[in-house]
Amino acid sequence: MIRAVPPKKPAAKIMKQSVSATSSRASTPPITPKKGNKKLASMTKLAKSTSQSGTATPPRGVVADQRQLDLSGMNLGSKEDVTNVVEEPPKVAIAKEKLIEEVKKTMEAETQKKGLNLVVIGHVDAGKSTLMGRLLYELGRMDEKTKVANERGSNKAGKASFAWAWGLDGTAEERERGITMDIAMQYLSTPHRHITILDAPGHKEFIPNMISGAAQADCALLVVDASTGEFEAGFDRAGQTREHLILVRSLGVTQVVVAINKLDQVSWDQVRYGDICDLLRAFLIQSGFQPSRTKFVPVSAMQGVNLLSRQGDDAKPLRFWYDGPTLVDLLDKLEPPSRDIVAPLRIPISNIFKGQSAGIAVIGRICGGIVQVGERLRALPGDESGIVKMIEVEDKSVEWAASGTACTLHLISIDPVQLSIGTVLCAPSELVSLAMTFTARIIVFDIQIPITPGATVELFHHSRDLPATVSKLISTLDKGSGKVVKSNPRVLSKGLSAEVQISLRTSSLSGSVSTVKSIPIEPFSVNKEMGRILLRRGGETIAAGVVLALVG
Amino acid sequence: MKLVNKYVDKRGSGHVTLRPEDDEDMWHLYNLIQKGDFVRAPTIRRVQTISSTGSTDSHRVRLNLTLEVGAVEFSSSPAPSGTSSADPSNDQSASGLASTAALHIAGRVTSENQHVKLGAFHTLDVEANRDVRIEKADGWDSVALSRVEEAILPGKGAEVGAIVCGEGTAAFCLLSQHMTLVAHRISVHIPRKSGASGASQHEKALTKFYTTIYDAFLRHIPYSNPSLRAIIIASPGWVRDTVHDYMLSEATKRGDKTLYRALKDKAFRVHVNSAHVHSLVEVLKSPEVTTQLKETKFAREGVALDRFYKMLASDEMRAWYGPDHVAFAADRGAIGTLLISDELFRASEPAVRKKYVAIVEAVQQKGAEVVIFSSMHESGQQLNQLTGIAALLTFPLDVEVVEAEEREAEEERKQQEAQTDQASS
Repeated sequence: MIRAVPPKKPAAKIMKQSVSATSSRASTPPITPKKGNKKLASMTKLAKSTSQSGTATPPRGVVADQRQLDLSGMNLGSKEDVTNVVEEPPKVAIAKEKLIEEVKKTMEAETQKKGLNLVVIGHVDAGKSTLMGRLLYELGRMDEKTKVANERGSNKAGKASFAWAWGLDGTAEERERGITMDIAMQYLSTPHRHITILDAPGHKEFIPNMISGAAQADCALLVVDASTGEFEAGFDRAGQTREHLILVRSLGVTQVVVAINKLDQVSWDQVRYGDICDLLRAFLIQSGFQPSRTKFVPVSAMQGVNLLSRQGDDAKPLRFWYDGPTLVDLLDKLEPPSRDIVAPLRIPISNIFKGQSAGIAVIGRICGGIVQVGERLRALPGDESGIVKMIEVEDKSVEWAASGTACTLHLISIDPVQLSIGTVLCAPSELVSLAMTFTARIIVFDIQIPITPGATVELFHHSRDLPATVSKLISTLDKGSGKVVKSNPRVLSKGLSAEVQISLRTSSLSGSVSTVKSIPIEPFSVNKEMGRILLRRGGETIAAGVVLALVG
Repeated sequence: MKLVNKYVDKRGSGHVTLRPEDDEDMWHLYNLIQKGDFVRAPTIRRVQTISSTGSTDSHRVRLNLTLEVGAVEFSSSPAPSGTSSADPSNDQSASGLASTAALHIAGRVTSENQHVKLGAFHTLDVEANRDVRIEKADGWDSVALSRVEEAILPGKGAEVGAIVCGEGTAAFCLLSQHMTLVAHRISVHIPRKSGASGASQHEKALTKFYTTIYDAFLRHIPYSNPSLRAIIIASPGWVRDTVHDYMLSEATKRGDKTLYRALKDKAFRVHVNSAHVHSLVEVLKSPEVTTQLKETKFAREGVALDRFYKMLASDEMRAWYGPDHVAFAADRGAIGTLLISDELFRASEPAVRKKYVAIVEAVQQKGAEVVIFSSMHESGQQLNQLTGIAALLTFPLDVEVVEAEEREAEEERKQQEAQTDQASS
């Protein structure tokens, strides 16, 4: 797919050159007099004169000129060559500074819909996928044809109640088992928001996948099953309602919309709704959510009640006692967090697949900075870099994407073997740091077996999980003040806040330590989203924390 | 391993001649041979001769050499490390189940002969089926001798083959009494379902992944070997079921009756919580496996470690770890079960080894259980992370109280020393 070359491109290019020239001019004078280096001074002069003359030669100084001279002597600089070079991969359209201004302007514009990422969480069989499938249909994102096909297909499989969920549960195994196993990504558009939906699996087995989705989210939609016994099962210690809430909170989500689903099965009992809200409200506050940022809404996904509106016969019993906002109203009011667009670019990859065109497509949420078409990106860990050929946001091709956006990047001139889930794309000039050992401040969850030094854990960082050990227990901390309570504790038991050192483990039993590969990670103080970690062991989340410093 | 000759006097000095046969035996030797021992084994040395005209001539001579051990190095060449390779068929080790472990002993020659001068440096590469004579001045302590006893027990090769798999990753492990060998690793990228690509790429990649597992299984798991007691397929989610069914149907399709029968008779499916190799510990704790393999060493180790962690959770005062703390507990006769890693006995300082041997002997004398972990097993690795030594106590003891007691005792001792010093001066 070759898009039309924007007409402003040559102008922009020259402008970019002049920008770099001015910056070099601005930076050189203080150096030259100090060192008294005559040669350097003459070089800057030369560079100045070339840039002032306005010729097309790049203002790179003597070295570039010399090379060009050599080349012309060899009669290689024919005209065809030049045009070829220009037409090659898509060039960066605008200089970074200009782009940042443009992005700022767009983001501040009143008319622009704000984008946000929403993870849908809750216990297994709470109706997350069904609710999302229905919502997609109501908002016109799922067409009638797909809907009918899903209904027919699920009927045939004897699972008619999963018709809506099939809209998101695409794989054969998910449909056969009737549960979501991996994150499904979809887009919704409400009057004021563009929402990227990450439908998480609710089954305990697939929490790693749920974490991968939650790590990309700004806000969460918690779906709970209101029917008798089901809510209790999900809210139980072993249920996922609690664990999911704690997980998303630890991953930086502060706003939650709670959809109390399947109320039709308890004949829209207002008391039941109230009871569930009270229980959840208490737990939400205890988990660190502000009451003002949590909203509750009664819905029925199957009947489609109170998603967009409360029209129709099915909604009659609800209209008696509820006149608050609908689910879409609440989603429309979610506030996206502030985005840091001047930070160095970081895109942790959550999915890789073959795109329609040449090259490889990766999905990831930008954790700081801006990416634009034509930019060269470095993939870490590894030695590869590639060029962004196309950026897709919500299935539409765009010129640039800024921090906070979940986007699909089509990369060319990169070896796909070097990319894996967990790879971080960044600008070649501002590389993300790599580490095998780091210190972190963690909060220990409600665990049975305390954490000892050397405890084997799985480290979750964005979409990746790795074997690791808690190599040192540095100190336990006071939860309020953060002061050291005890240095070198023997064990960490539940509920403690502590500072620990975490090292990645070699995955082979007998191999040398050198087989451990370091991962891209940054302290929380540098980049919040790159500095959050979760620790799991034996199928339960044992601690969440933030990276304090990288050790090596 | 075969015991060829043994002479150890009651002081612990003497020599043992052993004939290693497989990888595990190399591991035993590595644990037996210490710095300062005298080792005699056949080896090849390149000898240079200078003729009267001054021309040099070098040739390789096969001879028996005795070394005073300076360093011992063990390497079991692990699974190929090309983990992120999209096409794992390229990096599969062709050697398959051939011997992969190697033991190198470096030191100075102590017996002169016509080719080698006394004191010359040499490195022995210990080979299978060649006798090795180990002589210790006074080092044949109880731990070393029991190691010899264990090593010469018959029972060969891998007892359990395990596949720890997840979506897109699989590790093929071979467990024998003292070693876990990760024979092969597969790591393929499976595109996740997504709106743009649909589920077709996901499913295609999965099918390819299962085929790769099947092929690797044939190559790396000795399923036709009667000594292999169990084949374990462990994974989170339902991957293990799919893998199991796929292999069965594929074996039927290809008419591989041996594989079909092996899977029917020996295969277990075990649920674990993560697809990493360290989940092997969970496998060994699972009831299906413990009932089958409870007398094996790795199962015992797994159970012991599990008991320690459970005790740590229920009664912290009865689960102690760390060399100093465990030594205190041993002094007080409180230890019910001692968990100790063989790594500690490989300490280069003889004094350190002696200290640990003393603890083990003291605990054994009291009739308590001692479990020596092999650090070639996952459980041993985990114990190594936890300082390598831990103990379950028979009665609760408060660490802080004991530490205070010890400090007092130390101070008292110092005071007494000072007093005696004063008195003597």
